[in-house]
Amino acid sequence: MDAIELLSDYADYLREKKDQGKKIIGFMGHDNIPEELLDAAGFIPLRMIFAGNDDLMHASNDYLPPSTCSFAQSCIGLFSLKPSQYHFLNLIDHFLVSNHCVSDICTSEIITKYFKIPRLNFYISYTQDPEALKYFKLELLDLKQQLEKLIGREIKKQDIIESIRKYNLFKKKLSDINDLDISGVDKLKIFQKAILYGPVILPELEDFIQANNPNHAQNSKDSVDIFFTGCSIFIGDYLINLIEESGGDIKYFDTWVGDAYFSQVFEEEEITSNDDPLDFFVQRFENNKNGDHTVPYYFENKVTQIKEIIKEHQEKKGKKLRVINHIIKFCDHINIFQSFLKKELQEEGIQVLNLERDYSRANRGQLSTRVEAFMEMM
Amino acid sequence: MSVFTDDVINFTSVLKMAYNFLSGREYLKKQKFRERKKLISVVLPFSDLSFAAGAVPVFPIRMESFNINQYLVALNSATSILGWGLTTKLLGFIKQFDALKIFDTILDEVLKSINVKYNEMYDLGVENGISSDFCYGIKGLYGMHVSKGKNVDANMNFAIRCSAFNKYYESLRKLVPRQIWVDIPSRNIGNALELLTENITNAISDLEDITGNHVADNSLNKQFRIGNQVKRYYKTIIYEISAEDFYPCNPATFAEILSLLGISFQDYNSNAQRYLENIANLVKEMRERIRKGIGMDVSKMPRILLTPVFGGWEPETQEFLYEQGARTLYADWEILGLLEEIPVSKGTNPVEEYARYLLNAATEGIGCDNNTLTDSYQRIAKKMNVDGIIFNQLFGCHSISNCYPMLREKVRKKLDIPITSIIFNKIGENVEQIKTRLGAYMEIVKPT
Ligand code: SF4
Ligand code: SF4
Repeated sequence: MDAIELLSDYADYLREKKDQGKKIIGFMGHDNIPEELLDAAGFIPLRMIFAGNDDLMHASNDYLPPSTCSFAQSCIGLFSLKPSQYHFLNLIDHFLVSNHCVSDICTSEIITKYFKIPRLNFYISYTQDPEALKYFKLELLDLKQQLEKLIGREIKKQDIIESIRKYNLFKKKLSDINDLDISGVDKLKIFQKAILYGPVILPELEDFIQANNPNHAQNSKDSVDIFFTGCSIFIGDYLINLIEESGGDIKYFDTWVGDAYFSQVFEEEEITSNDDPLDFFVQRFENNKNGDHTVPYYFENKVTQIKEIIKEHQEKKGKKLRVINHIIKFCDHINIFQSFLKKELQEEGIQVLNLERDYSRANRGQLSTRVEAFMEMM
Repeated sequence: MSVFTDDVINFTSVLKMAYNFLSGREYLKKQKFRERKKLISVVLPFSDLSFAAGAVPVFPIRMESFNINQYLVALNSATSILGWGLTTKLLGFIKQFDALKIFDTILDEVLKSINVKYNEMYDLGVENGISSDFCYGIKGLYGMHVSKGKNVDANMNFAIRCSAFNKYYESLRKLVPRQIWVDIPSRNIGNALELLTENITNAISDLEDITGNHVADNSLNKQFRIGNQVKRYYKTIIYEISAEDFYPCNPATFAEILSLLGISFQDYNSNAQRYLENIANLVKEMRERIRKGIGMDVSKMPRILLTPVFGGWEPETQEFLYEQGARTLYADWEILGLLEEIPVSKGTNPVEEYARYLLNAATEGIGCDNNTLTDSYQRIAKKMNVDGIIFNQLFGCHSISNCYPMLREKVRKKLDIPITSIIFNKIGENVEQIKTRLGAYMEIVKPT
């Protein structure tokens, strides 16, 4: 299924849900947003996980300078130009302004202000110390109240727990898919679709796992195994195909459209151990040590994590993993550490390609050359 | 060309401030090795806690060596022997024999050497791994820590809404392993104030651990009292003196003084009491000159607010605006809510008051979004009653200076004064373009 087909089906799905009286909350797709809470309140969470292009980026320049991250620019462009396959964005009832990064704040704010979508707020602390966790709880309570005001009733504790369970199971399935011996392209497609739809596609995930059990391994032995980190690959981005065409096969999607999304799964006892289900989200935030939002240990944790995974992969598969660090142009979080990451990993003999790009067409040739050169180096 | 008139010589307070800025290296060495004080790197005006802990806050560029004009060195010795009054008189006397006009260019030279050093630090930041896509401030600050970070005992980090800045702080861990964090909540909801108070208490404990000193409420209040007075004088300059029809000096000099204040306010030149004396003297000197009619009639010159500049800007802008017949004003710290006073009356809890001050700056001044931030720009522009705004859009800034389109819309609707923007990446890089743009802008700024 290509991106156009996916978006078209998704649009139909949303329309159907709207007809059934469901409301939609959009937000910039990053981690730490408690989508279970939105779900428990009866909303459909819609993550903005769409790749951009020249037109979309340019369209944002009326609102933010061109030195804004290309993803954020494109999100604004989607609301400004509303390309036909994205008409479903008109169905969004509320937009959540959050601060995964400051571009998240500014972009979400612009979407709510200039495209007249009622705004919700959810801000996240940068540190993870005890006070930051308490502040996270405050924000959760506040978000819960904002949602309750919209629906005119209390969100029941049991409903939150049920949503947590549902998403937990859903993430476990994605994690199972991640363990399948299938190509990176196939994995990413299913991740993107799943994160867009949410747990509603659980049966499809189960079928997918059935159809791709280890006996159906289709992985080419000649490909170069890639650990993909940094910024996510969003729906409609050609990057994954470009990597595959150059002989790379992404084995780990260390991005939040990937491992960062589904790695945090919990056992039933953990889900029910808290008196207040909001504490579950606090716990998850605290556990999210490798997420790029947090300071001051993100980089240190990230380097350790990458080294461990690469070592484990080598032991298990007898193959080296190479690292592609994907940097969407002007992304603060990933950009600032790019040279340090490369240096630290290269000192351990790990090959790293810092792949910085925006969504312009002109970029493609250069990206392709760089990826090919990286693969040939092996 | 220097635009500074010979009246700069009488601003001994400014020159002293300039001297204190440039001679930081020697002063800090003395503090570190002779006085056994701990140096804490601070950026943005967040030095109060370090002072209260008996540490020495330092805006890191001040650890660099600068070329100091011999005159400034002599001035420093003279004021410590003769006091301010006599030194000022003596300067007036010496001035008559200054055939080489050395004095006239001093402040200009000081600021130029700071700017050259800033650019050097910028290059160092980029050479050491910070992508050139980041704002001038971050590249420069990283470079400063590459250069002299080893001399400081800790970094004082205040997590704010700018994610690039928070990540920059994190990146410093390689250069300055000891970090003290104060995470400022984005919004004032629930008991956010209490949580911030706790964060500050923890930061104070860290400082106590580093310095070996106990931070009593009295030490905090003493520091806040000094800070409050400094802020009052600062506001007097911004709101009262800058609004006068007669300036105590050339408006270009006035702009330079404001820019020097802006930079030095971050660490009070590492000595809060001395800084207070300097700024008090500055205001006194300014008033006295106005009273005596020494200075310049600026009643026909429009007042232009140039902002934000704290992350870097093209210093030639103010010179050019002067040539075009305008006066340039800077008020970043006031816009961002950082010139608010901290209550110190009996019965108050200083830690909580500091938390309230920070939370207020974060939520009402800087704001958790551009709507609040642009309101702050608008509010202060109105309060200052300026005739125009020039918005400095820093290349690579994703937080403060990206709000221009929203601000422009609000200013046009609500303030009815001309507003334009200029792009800044590095000092000296875009001067001609800035001039062209400002030339056109000045055509529409009506003379008052
Ligand atoms: S700057 Fe980075 S983290 Fe922020 S919206 Fe862009 S891609 Fe996401
Ligand atoms: S607010 Fe802008 S100028 Fe300041 S540190 Fe952040 S990106 Fe740089």
